[in-house]
Amino acid sequence: MAKLLVVDDEANIRLLYAAELSDEGYDVVTAGSALEAVEKLESESFDLAVIDIKLKNESGIELLQRIVKERHTVPVILCTAFSCYKDDFSAWLADGYVVKSSDLQELKDEIARVLAKRQKAAYT
Amino acid sequence: MDWECCWSRDHIEADHCPYVGEGEEDLLSSQRRRIVEKCVECPRFKNDLARMKGAGYPLSDVLPFILTEFQEQKAQMGAMLSFLNSRTREIKFLREVGLVLQTSIDLDEVLSIAMTAITAGKGFGMNRAFLLMTDKERRNIRGYLGVGPRDYEEAWRTWEDISRSNFTLRQLARDFQKTKLTSEKVKFHDILQRLTVPLSDQGHIFNRALRGKKPILVENALNNPDLDRGLARILGVDTFLVMPLISRNRRIGVIIADNCITHKPITLQDMQSLETFAFPVAFALERASLYERLQEEVAKQKAANLKLREQQELIVKMEKMALVGKITSSIAHSIRNPLMVIGGFARTLLKGSPADDEKRSYLESIVRETRQLEEVLSEVLDYSESLFPVTDYWDLNELVAKAMGELEGVMKGAGVACRMELAPDLPVVRIDYKQISYCLKTITTTALSAMELGGELHVESLKEGEAVLLRVTDDGKPLSETAQVALTTPFFQTQELGEGVGLSLCKSILERQGNTLTITSRPGGGNTYSIRLLTKKENI
Repeated sequence: MAKLLVVDDEANIRLLYAAELSDEGYDVVTAGSALEAVEKLESESFDLAVIDIKLKNESGIELLQRIVKERHTVPVILCTAFSCYKDDFSAWLADGYVVKSSDLQELKDEIARVLAKRQKAAYT
Repeated sequence: MDWECCWSRDHIEADHCPYVGEGEEDLLSSQRRRIVEKCVECPRFKNDLARMKGAGYPLSDVLPFILTEFQEQKAQMGAMLSFLNSRTREIKFLREVGLVLQTSIDLDEVLSIAMTAITAGKGFGMNRAFLLMTDKERRNIRGYLGVGPRDYEEAWRTWEDISRSNFTLRQLARDFQKTKLTSEKVKFHDILQRLTVPLSDQGHIFNRALRGKKPILVENALNNPDLDRGLARILGVDTFLVMPLISRNRRIGVIIADNCITHKPITLQDMQSLETFAFPVAFALERASLYERLQEEVAKQKAANLKLREQQELIVKMEKMALVGKITSSIAHSIRNPLMVIGGFARTLLKGSPADDEKRSYLESIVRETRQLEEVLSEVLDYSESLFPVTDYWDLNELVAKAMGELEGVMKGAGVACRMELAPDLPVVRIDYKQISYCLKTITTTALSAMELGGELHVESLKEGEAVLLRVTDDGKPLSETAQVALTTPFFQTQELGEGVGLSLCKSILERQGNTLTITSRPGGGNTYSIRLLTKKENI
């Protein structure tokens, strides 16, 4: 069972992600801030992180930069309401990018795609 | 002695002297005046003098001397009087011309007055005159206007017309400006064109006259080896006057005057009169051309100001749009997360509820409405996002092909065929790829909505000067003017089109980068949406 870390500062959204992604068969751990996410990444191992760009204190992009810098190998999908972030160079470091929507299908497809790609890379 | 002439009588009858004409009856009773005015010229008086000499009258030898002297003095007085009269006329004429020249700032009026004054019988009475002026760059003297008849027949006709009219010089000039100025400019075009002389050609007679600030009278030019025969050949006369026009040491131009029809000699007096006249003409010409240039500059300035005002208005509009964008973006973001939670959980509940649960329809309503709200939010966010473009050089044809490819399904569904005509050698354009792609897609969707019965959509790209044009033409219902305004004004509502930001967003996106969107409708049917993208941009 793939283990996902969901980072969003809105408790209700964490709750929604946890419910929906658990239904899809993933083991979901949530974090409400970048700091909490880093702590979890250091203590546990994850197959994928879903990070909201707009977080309190530290942005999702900054968190992504930190993950890359600290050589965590976990793949990252960025979520946001701002589609313009696609043009941000730092956002290019992410493995996937999803515009937030009440319909989580796009996110689920993106998670499946990134995980499959990762698995394929591990085999070869 | 019985004298033949009446000189000895105090009073005479009208039939006594054949030289007293009508209106001179007072001479019949004035012996003194009759002798001075009539008898001294009378042959009968001469006969009486001869008879006196024969009869040995002592004064008869002296009287002829006195008489001859008297006649000479009288002739001289007459000549002086006529000279004075002509001078008085000339001063009056110069005053009349001077007044007009002093007050006029219209170049055509000044030209008309000057040229009429030189050529009219009431003025200097020359047959023909050419005006040459220094060009704006101050490099050459160029033929500007020629006035006068081209041949004897025309001269005869014109002079007869003028002699019949009782016009003053000013009226003549006005009539000339109104009826002849334009045609005269063309009439001597062939001669004027050949009269261009560089100001640097020091030896040329024009420049010599300008340098010397004095008119030059050229006589017998065709047989005089010291003179340039070329000019005489162009003019077709061998005697002409070259008069420099100088105002405040500036070389304004030259007037050439001749008597090409009557071949009347040009006198020293003609030259002097024209010289007096040259100064006000030069001054008026300079002032009028300066005024004309000033008017041109004012017009340019006005156009620039208008453009500036338009730009300022555009900036204000843009700032307002940017503010609207910021507000809507902020509202949209704060709504988006709760909306996502509502819609998301409704979906979760819907998934878990049994198929026959009657509350399913409520959940479905929540999901549907949330979806719709999210779409509106996306549109609003796209709008605010458009205020911060990311530009780069792109191949427009590639963009068109890709965007139209994405809409293939929609077009097929609407029964619309797409005909693409893309110019193969388009230059790259500096654009925000996403935004222009959005514009094209929005335009296509708008066009499709006018093609309820299907049809053909024509998409073409072409180069037009410094710009690349992207045109989408439908053959659907033509849009009314209100609809066109509505389409390009955010949230403007019309019955036929509903409400939205679609095309207004496109317009705002394009205008921010100096590009344009125009919509034209053909009354017979069909609308054309043209996007004009500049290829040369510096401040992006």
